[in-house]
Amino acid sequence: MTHPGELISAYLDGELSRSEIDQLFGHLAGCGRCAVEMQELQAVRSAVRSLPLLELPLGLVPEADAEVVPLHRNRGFLVGAAAAIVAVVIAVAAMVTPSTAAISVEELNSRYGARASLDPAFGPAKVILPQLMDTLE
Amino acid sequence: MRLRIGAIAAALIVIPASAVSAADLDQLLDESREASYTAEQVITCSTPDGVRSGVVEIEQSGGSLHLSGEVEVVSGNGGWESVQGDSVVTSASVKAAETHIDPVYTVDDGSAHPFLDRKAGLYRLYVGDVLRGELIVDGGTGAMLSVVTYNEDGTVYCERRFIEFDPTPPVPSQSSLSGTGAIEPTDSVSTLPENLGDFQRLDIYQDDEGLVFAYYSDGFFSFAVFETPVVVTLEGATTVTFDRGAYVRSFTPGQAIYVWQTGAGGMAMIGDLPPDMHEAVLAALPAPSEPGLLQRLWRSLFG
Repeated sequence: MTHPGELISAYLDGELSRSEIDQLFGHLAGCGRCAVEMQELQAVRSAVRSLPLLELPLGLVPEADAEVVPLHRNRGFLVGAAAAIVAVVIAVAAMVTPSTAAISVEELNSRYGARASLDPAFGPAKVILPQLMDTLE
Repeated sequence: MRLRIGAIAAALIVIPASAVSAADLDQLLDESREASYTAEQVITCSTPDGVRSGVVEIEQSGGSLHLSGEVEVVSGNGGWESVQGDSVVTSASVKAAETHIDPVYTVDDGSAHPFLDRKAGLYRLYVGDVLRGELIVDGGTGAMLSVVTYNEDGTVYCERRFIEFDPTPPVPSQSSLSGTGAIEPTDSVSTLPENLGDFQRLDIYQDDEGLVFAYYSDGFFSFAVFETPVVVTLEGATTVTFDRGAYVRSFTPGQAIYVWQTGAGGMAMIGDLPPDMHEAVLAALPAPSEPGLLQRLWRSLFG
């Protein structure tokens, strides 16, 4: 059997049939150099897989753009989810925070007092004195 | 009008009150408005929330009143202004439409009733057989020296009694009241009813902020109903529950104030009507309700 370099790579990629695997391991049992090569290749592949994934800038590799689409989809989903969470937080905060838009009774009193002063029954009894209050419960 | 007022005033002075035919409430009120005097008045009101009382100094002339208490109030001829120290706290100016109120009250023959050592007449106001008010009218000036208002069950609601009275016309007020910027009555359609029991809607107003208010009167008592797109705040109030829901209520000497929320915003009712009339009036207005989720959110975010 010639040096089975391609079989080793194919094996590591999971592309060999049962009979090809038996044939490869039969060779490795008698060829120390091939066994060492397979161990080294396995180590290299493991090291490469442990590296972090880097996102390519768009357009750097035009052919790769198609592969980036799923990542964009994920990012869009995450952005949407984050926006929804922020909206919910704002809504809850807005509802539990008292509204600052309000009008005081004093302002209404002044309008009532002004109109009441045109009433035929206008007199001291019609005038509102909001601060003049002595409560005797 | 002045001739008629003068004739009535003369009749009150010269002719024994008991000989006067059934009095005209409008004439009595007109005389009182025209009177000029200085006085000190005690106000005591027995409200469902306790007694409200106060003492106030009054100067009236030219249809305008100047009252001095903890806060000074100047009111008359469509203006209202409260002043504390040198600062105007609140002010408003309105105009009124020409309206006529169908008479609700009957007034009995006046009877002589000296008051503060002055010749005066006592007049009783009735709605049907129910006594609603007693007016003691000064024979010299037409000023109302005492006004007692009654609940339907005959108990006293408010008593406003002069404890000092000087018929000398006061120095004209230096009030800054003016007709500039006065809110004019509108003809716009409103959901506020034209009649609330014996009360007639006389005027309705709307300002730039969307505040709508209507003025109601039965010829003696009066109140205003306010509709606002925002919440109305009322400090030192209590919550009272009627059949249609919960209201926030407060009484000042002589006035009742109700505030409540509706789906469209806030509402308020302010007036001098006795407490037994309150629930019937409120029942004819939009009921209290909590605003919906979206409304609360909208108001919170955008006011």
